[in-house]
Amino acid sequence: MRPRADRRALRTVELRGTIALAGREARRVLGLWTQTILPPVATAILLLAIFGGALGDRLRQVEGVAYPWFILPGLLVMTVAGQSFANAATSLFQAKSEGYIEDVLTSPLRHWQVALSYMAGGLLRGWLAAGVVAAIAVPLTEGVRRPALALAALALTGVIFSALGVLTGVWAETFDQHAFVANLVITPLALVAGVFYAVQTLAEPWSTLTRLDPIFYLVDATRAGFTGAHEAPVAASLGVAAGVATAVVAAAVGVLARGWRLKP
Amino acid sequence: MNREARPAREDAALRVEDLSKTYADGTRALERLSLHVPAGSFFGLLGPNGSGKTTLIGMASGLVRAPEGHIRIFGHDAVADYQRARLLVGLAPQEVHLDRFLSARGVLVHHGRYFGLSKGAAGRRADELLSVLDLRAKAGARPNRLSGGMRRRLLIARALVHRPRLVILDEPTAGVDLALRHELWRYLARLHREEETTVLLTTHYLEEAEALCERIAFIRGGAILAEGGVAELRARFGGARLEDAYTRAMG
Repeated sequence: MRPRADRRALRTVELRGTIALAGREARRVLGLWTQTILPPVATAILLLAIFGGALGDRLRQVEGVAYPWFILPGLLVMTVAGQSFANAATSLFQAKSEGYIEDVLTSPLRHWQVALSYMAGGLLRGWLAAGVVAAIAVPLTEGVRRPALALAALALTGVIFSALGVLTGVWAETFDQHAFVANLVITPLALVAGVFYAVQTLAEPWSTLTRLDPIFYLVDATRAGFTGAHEAPVAASLGVAAGVATAVVAAAVGVLARGWRLKP
Repeated sequence: MNREARPAREDAALRVEDLSKTYADGTRALERLSLHVPAGSFFGLLGPNGSGKTTLIGMASGLVRAPEGHIRIFGHDAVADYQRARLLVGLAPQEVHLDRFLSARGVLVHHGRYFGLSKGAAGRRADELLSVLDLRAKAGARPNRLSGGMRRRLLIARALVHRPRLVILDEPTAGVDLALRHELWRYLARLHREEETTVLLTTHYLEEAEALCERIAFIRGGAILAEGGVAELRARFGGARLEDAYTRAMG
């Protein structure tokens, strides 16, 4: 076979394989929607109702924005982050612990294509859950000021946390390890990222510490997109998020390429 | 695709040179192992538990890292040119691990698509294999709803979906009843004969190796002890049956 035709045939193999694996992940998310979509939507709506509805009457405005509208972008970031992470981490962890990851490890797919496929399931779950929450909540608020900015920030959120999910799925050898990252790293980081309050109202060192939390920049950029209000320069927030996304995606591809904890 | 990706006039389906492997716990699984599996042959790899068979197979198929030595599949380096090498290999591992989120047919279709088959081609091939391996009635069942023998057959079908030129079967008849074992023998012999597929088989059933294999290698302690046809091995180690030769070779 001529080299160019051989390369073209190989690209076809890669494309079909990647679509198949990503499709498998997407079907898993949609098939298990009562576990993958419904709970995070219910949680976000409940948080919005409790904090936005009950506390909103007392707090009225934060940074010049009605409180329910102020917290909605952060809740969407929390939803995308938590679900993107959970899906990629759980699916890969299951495939590894039950052994059927050999189906993928023996395939001709490139390592970045495997990472991308697992991330695709996470992205779908995160964006779909956040999309449902937004579809319910946005009509009750003042609309979205800069939709492209909000979408870009939520897209970066999904990329970062689905790649972190891949890393965790590869790293975790027990379900406890897998749950540790979700419960003791991601959830606390999300809660102190300024979802429910303006960072500039915090005293030191909390204000500075919050600015060290990368999720803060995702929340801030998403809030800028929804409400126009933000505490950090938008370009800086997107820059930090893009930098973090590049680093975690590279790390996810790297561990798959090395076969770390996947191949003895 | 996979049939077109082969380099011309390669006489070895699997060529292994000076392959060594030490696991993280210090276990030396392979010790400068060299092996040549001729293209088109039905080749048996026989050895006791822990002799390095599964490690060798894992390194050839991408399941085990291969840091030392060389493995070539029809001339393609299994590490440096892993994509082309893997397209030519179909693996049925010793342990049965099947995706429980997919149906039996889904397992085959997805596997075919991971190896570049179109959706239609993968579906047709899956249906063909389900019929051949008598799994048609269970096409829609999840693997965890199948009996042990059915899961084993599904695993073999999975290895064959993309029509690999080298099929590696790691103890394919372990835990399979006698009738099904003979049925699998017939299918494997036909696959080898009609599709000119190279088969690398490991088994603890020596009568299985004697019935199916044209060439056999004895492996022990991560190295090849002897290699040849059944008659050659019997002549070399003595005994009327392969089992006698094997027992003597293993000491």
